[in-house]
Amino acid sequence: MLPNNVFRCRPWLPLATLAFSGALLAQSVEPARPWWSPGEDTPLPATLEYANGWGRFGLVNADGPVTTDGHPFFEALGSNGRGCVTCHQPADAMSISVATIARRWQETEGKDPLFAAIDGRNCPHLPAGDAAAHSLLLKRGLIRVSLPWPPRDSSGTAITPGFSIEVVRDPSGCNTHPEYGLDGERHEISVYRRPRSAINLRYVTAAGFGVTPFIGKTGMLAAKDPETGKPVNMNMMADAREATLKTQANSAANGHMQVVTPLSAEQLARIQAFELQLYGAQSWSNGAGSLVETGGPSGFGPRNLRAGRDGVLGNNTSNYVFPMEDKWANLPEVEGADAMARRAFRESVQRGHDVFFYRTFWIKDATHINTVGLGNPIKRTCATCHGMHMTGMDVANGWMDLGTTNAPWALEPPESPWAKELPELPLFKLTCNADQPPHPFLGRTVYTQDPGRALISGKCEDIGAIVIQQFRGLAARAPYFSNGSAANLRELVDFYDRRFNIRYTEQEKADLVNFLSVL
Amino acid sequence: MKHWMRAVIGLGFLASLSAVAAPPPGTRLSFVSCPVVRDTRSVPCWTSDYQGDSYYLTIQSDVSAAVQPPLLGHRVLVEGIVSDKPQICGGIVLEPVRLSVMPELDANCNTVLPVDERYVIDFNPRPPGPSGGRLAFDPAPGATSAPPAPPVGEQQLPIYFDFDRAVSFRHPDVLLNIIKVAGQVKATRLKITGVRGAHKLSDGTLLQESTTIGRKRAEEVAALLKGAGLTLDAELDWTDAVAEADGVDDWQSRRATVVLTP
Repeated sequence: MLPNNVFRCRPWLPLATLAFSGALLAQSVEPARPWWSPGEDTPLPATLEYANGWGRFGLVNADGPVTTDGHPFFEALGSNGRGCVTCHQPADAMSISVATIARRWQETEGKDPLFAAIDGRNCPHLPAGDAAAHSLLLKRGLIRVSLPWPPRDSSGTAITPGFSIEVVRDPSGCNTHPEYGLDGERHEISVYRRPRSAINLRYVTAAGFGVTPFIGKTGMLAAKDPETGKPVNMNMMADAREATLKTQANSAANGHMQVVTPLSAEQLARIQAFELQLYGAQSWSNGAGSLVETGGPSGFGPRNLRAGRDGVLGNNTSNYVFPMEDKWANLPEVEGADAMARRAFRESVQRGHDVFFYRTFWIKDATHINTVGLGNPIKRTCATCHGMHMTGMDVANGWMDLGTTNAPWALEPPESPWAKELPELPLFKLTCNADQPPHPFLGRTVYTQDPGRALISGKCEDIGAIVIQQFRGLAARAPYFSNGSAANLRELVDFYDRRFNIRYTEQEKADLVNFLSVL
Repeated sequence: MKHWMRAVIGLGFLASLSAVAAPPPGTRLSFVSCPVVRDTRSVPCWTSDYQGDSYYLTIQSDVSAAVQPPLLGHRVLVEGIVSDKPQICGGIVLEPVRLSVMPELDANCNTVLPVDERYVIDFNPRPPGPSGGRLAFDPAPGATSAPPAPPVGEQQLPIYFDFDRAVSFRHPDVLLNIIKVAGQVKATRLKITGVRGAHKLSDGTLLQESTTIGRKRAEEVAALLKGAGLTLDAELDWTDAVAEADGVDDWQSRRATVVLTP
């Protein structure tokens, strides 16, 4: 595609208006989705679809139907009744939406294992059955993640951090609690994060482009697979603390499921095998229609993910991040309101793709993108950071500080005498040691809701750096960002518009939202 | 305004011009200043002002560039030789040029200039959006070059750093090469010497790195090589090269030296 034909906004108004209307019409009331409890013996078919507000989300089990009876992903493994599936619901793109969480709360009066005290409450010491004690999960879909402080390396040795942490705000009381707090018996810090989508993990864990013994963004040592000794891409969790699917499963079993005995080698192997053959993407769009039709864009639908190449850089016109082959550009004229609306929506999706891929803006003050030899600022596009072919993650070692958790960009309710909404996330003040390099753009004192990668590396430059998530199944799993601060796709786009002063037009925003809704 | 006043002002202006006339080609410059970004119709270019002149530093491309752009929000240490090439983006070309971002923040360094049609980038290794599929400065497809002869005997491998910094994004390939060479020469001894450097700037200022940086470089390189699988026990040393700063390639003082002995 040539740069001079990439923006397809039509000069006449009616179609543009239709496309924008399409954005509104394409999202319906969120349908109730089936809840999957651990221990259900229902088989998971080879292919299946679940309705969501934007259409339908599709799953493909590449190895065929999965017998869930006795499968460690689908069984309650721990003492609190949870299984992996509790927070990785098939209908929610193998994550869990806040709508599903709220419904589950109502259906079970807060007694589902999802709401376990250990991390389903804002802090374990808070009272059971009180919605306020679960507010971060109920309102933002956030699970408490408690991490040791100071951090420890993979051998368990304490790392001397390059900064100190003060608790500035502690709405849950957890970070100042005598047992759970930073200075408490456990010496832990509590941050609150969204469960990540457990689909397309062949891509997420691929050791392709940019995976070496050293982290490309910092020169530090990359994590290694404890079984093979080989470096991994460190792209799986918000802070990249677990190296492989198996170590992640073990960690989640210990922490979130409170297992009494560690998972067996066979259980871990079954979980890994299941996750690596599972593909997911939106398969039907209320606005665009089928996303899996023969001859459609090759970047859409779960089957194309199954067939695609992993570990590939897509920020180029050889691979593309989400290839569309211009198939929804300049569509032929159609008759009838439904057909016209569908055509308009498809053209909006194509324009949204082009905004994502070609629309330049200044990417400024984003650690681990501006600091890796590209300069600050760089005039680039969304695809610069979201460059992994088929997923929109960063390709390797994909953490960046895009401002989602660090002041001044992180979403905070306005503070005023008349404020009706009070902050619910903690706020930490991190002060970099004098003998350490400061955070590249925030200096030696950083305020943050979640220090992100820095809680693992102990380095100032990593404060607020969060591993980029994949873009698949977005329609099924709001809210977005690791701290759930974007309630819907429009808020996600608006965050970037504010953060980088992009000044998208309303049309561009609507097109981007429509594009994201079909992934 | 009286004629004589205009004349005085005019003479003063000419005098000021002559006082800040650009240094002739071949002049070595070393200065610390704010970088400036100038947008163009294609990729932005980077300049920096020093003693009344604007110097072209580089353009935006990608991670394969030999000269990578600095960071707004920080001053940049510039070392280069004035060339006689036509100006780029309104800046006198320094060639070669070496840039190092100063670690601490400087809020004054925040200038982004808009597109000015007088400044056109007529070389474009990579557009501002997606690439064509390869890094800007990678060899062209099909290009071949003879592989270097395998190293023999003792090897001294320098690692160069940014000012007051140890290992960074610049070093994965450098470290991987050391591990490779260690295998090629069947090294039995590894010595790493970290060096604290300094710069003699063009205005006579001596710019020194922190006193502990040499040790930090040696220890960090040793830990990373060991962590990546180089099993030799490293002998560590650190030294101070501040006294050697003379304004000529002082960037080479910001280094560690790895010696591999068969």
